[in-house]
Amino acid sequence: MASRIFLRRRDGRIEVRLNEAGREVAREAFGHVLAAEGDPDHEWHASLNAPINPGSDVDDPLATFKRQHEMTSNVELAVATLNEEFLNDAEAWAWLCTLQVALRAFITAKGLLSADRLEESDEATQHYIKTLQTLLFAIADVM
Amino acid sequence: MPSLKPLRVSEETQTGAQTATLTERPWNVVVWDDPVTPMSVVVVILRKIFGFPNNKATQLMLTVHHEGRAIVWSGSLERAQGYCVKLQVAGLLATIEQDA
Repeated sequence: MASRIFLRRRDGRIEVRLNEAGREVAREAFGHVLAAEGDPDHEWHASLNAPINPGSDVDDPLATFKRQHEMTSNVELAVATLNEEFLNDAEAWAWLCTLQVALRAFITAKGLLSADRLEESDEATQHYIKTLQTLLFAIADVM
Repeated sequence: MPSLKPLRVSEETQTGAQTATLTERPWNVVVWDDPVTPMSVVVVILRKIFGFPNNKATQLMLTVHHEGRAIVWSGSLERAQGYCVKLQVAGLLATIEQDA
């Protein structure tokens, strides 16, 4: 049986079996999301501020504020628990959301929004995407 | 002596408001496909945000995958915006649109 990256324990906690290299990937992804939130020049910033209602010139400011607040809460919780051996459900949800935000922001910044474009991308790009997907598969499996 | 007239006006106003509410087109929350998001992640997010059972979340995920998009919720503008924000915070490509 293949070893699992995240394991749901009988007491409800989620054990994180990531090695240091794996945690470094997560740390880098979380760091980029955190930086992109506050920096309009960051290449991931646009993805984090996608339109809510594309039919309107301007989105509801309350909705965009709520999005920013919730995204910040998630990424801060994910960063704060990066070195933990066990996560509770709220912390695991913050990891899943932040990893998924990172994955989408990465492909959006690279313009890889179709399967064809993705196939044409370089090896390093595909490797990074597969690594984030592996983490996402694994954490979704215990939620 | 009570008059019936104000009551009738009030009833008409109330009926008008109810008609307006009933005929107002609902807002749809739409989730869009992308080439990288794992299917199981979409299912988990739909289950968590909407409380959908696994089979409904899976069916919606498959609609997104095969048709490029799926309407996952319909209703008032305020709630549609709220759900759309939650989906975006979870990293999905989501928007709202008024029902045609």
